[in-house]
Amino acid sequence: MSALLEILSPTFLLRDALIASVLVGFVCPLVGVYFVLRRMIFLGVALPQVSAAGIAFSFLAYKVAVGPHEQLEVSEHVLAIVGSLVFTLVVTVVLAALERRGKPTVEARIGTTYAVAAAATILFLAKDPHGDAQMVNLLKGDILATTRASLVSMAVIFALVTAALLAFRKELLLVSFDRDLAVVFGKRAGLWDLLLYLLIGIVISLGVMTAGPMATFGFLVVPPVTVRMIARHMLSFSLGSALLGAATAFCGFYAAYRFDLPLGPAEVGLSSVILPAVAAGVGLHRAVGRWQSA
Amino acid sequence: MLVELRDVSLGYDRGPVLERVSLSIEQGEFLALLGPNGAGKTTLLRGILGLIPVLAGRIDYGFDRAVSPPGYVPQRDALDSIFPLSVFEVVLMGTYAKLAPLQPVRRQLRRLAARCLDQVGLADLAEQQFWALSGGQKQRVLIARALAVEPEIMLLDEPTAGVDAEAEIAITDLLQRLNRDRALTVVLVTHHLGRIRSAVRSAVWIDEGRATKQPIEAIPTLDGTTLLGRQRPDPA
Repeated sequence: MSALLEILSPTFLLRDALIASVLVGFVCPLVGVYFVLRRMIFLGVALPQVSAAGIAFSFLAYKVAVGPHEQLEVSEHVLAIVGSLVFTLVVTVVLAALERRGKPTVEARIGTTYAVAAAATILFLAKDPHGDAQMVNLLKGDILATTRASLVSMAVIFALVTAALLAFRKELLLVSFDRDLAVVFGKRAGLWDLLLYLLIGIVISLGVMTAGPMATFGFLVVPPVTVRMIARHMLSFSLGSALLGAATAFCGFYAAYRFDLPLGPAEVGLSSVILPAVAAGVGLHRAVGRWQSA
Repeated sequence: MLVELRDVSLGYDRGPVLERVSLSIEQGEFLALLGPNGAGKTTLLRGILGLIPVLAGRIDYGFDRAVSPPGYVPQRDALDSIFPLSVFEVVLMGTYAKLAPLQPVRRQLRRLAARCLDQVGLADLAEQQFWALSGGQKQRVLIARALAVEPEIMLLDEPTAGVDAEAEIAITDLLQRLNRDRALTVVLVTHHLGRIRSAVRSAVWIDEGRATKQPIEAIPTLDGTTLLGRQRPDPA
């Protein structure tokens, strides 16, 4: 109990890290619902790894073109965000275009993307002598290193992403649910897809840098999959997923702080407890319904 | 004339499926696109809808597609059941045709969606899960969604495929009523005329890359109600 009061205190030392974690937990599921609805869940595994490769590549490119970069500089974060965003966006657009053309073996493409991105990350780091522990921490998502400046910029960007998802939800829903109807209505389906991929790319890039690839993937997929079992409307699906993600992030942070656990695995572990619990509850509810109607 | 195709070729990357198609669709017509499996019925429908590019020739519309796009009813199996949508949310999507980005769905459009749902006789199911409905009910909800566009013409892809006899009657009656009472032009794809034969007044027979329009009476049947196999229409 005292640990809970401690992390809720305004003077809590890791307050910025806690807020960053909850923000990632809230926003990742908002784009994650589209991964689930468009049946792109495996892409959610590959993209955080692609984002990590983009970060490593941008550092290597900077070293080759300009010279060694200083650790923890603001420019290092900008560099990382640019590299991550460009890689994520390009790969998302290419994979989505291949899917639209009806090319087979989706799993093979995504599996290959994951393997290549993971290998490229390590190779890029191996060629950058400054890519030592600090950079590895960045790639893992060093949430405890969150500064007030990075938190504020992340909050602003996430607020813009959330506003865009809410403002354009009818277009994004129409293009995702019935693309043909969107085209018949004269909507530019390709442009709406691109906007969605851009928002996904931004969220994954910031998520990976803040919480790491594993936690980012966990927040992208597990809350939407959990809430999908009980949601009856699109709005409740999106908001429910976001709120569950934020609550999981908070509780995961508490568990990690209280029991001295690594944060990312604590958050994903907690999600993986909630998912089967909800599934069991839904199954039980249906069984009771069948029993009552019998 | 509501839609006119002049020497139109339609197809995909691998080449044209239909070539030199010339036909017109008049206001208030009830037209069936008929032919064997794989002949190009859906290709013609998608071409008229503007979902696939016209490879040659041209299609003229007697209405402003930007103001009043066609009402489109896809095959219900083409939609993914993973979306958690209520019946009303599905119908409301039809009103998105009238909305620019950032424009909210106002009360007037919500009332329109409710009216359309009422017209197909499913107002009581507005808050039900779309995927919990029967095949025939889903089809009527998709017709309501197409009505919410307030279209000049409604195009339907296999509206009675895979539904039971009762649902087939309900869908046929509904389409017939919309065609008669609202002068709504109806174009539908089917390879099984069944009960809908009573509503259809003209047909386009599609086979071997060609499409020929003729009165429904000129289309032959094998058992009096259905069109099967690769039988051709009798020119007489």
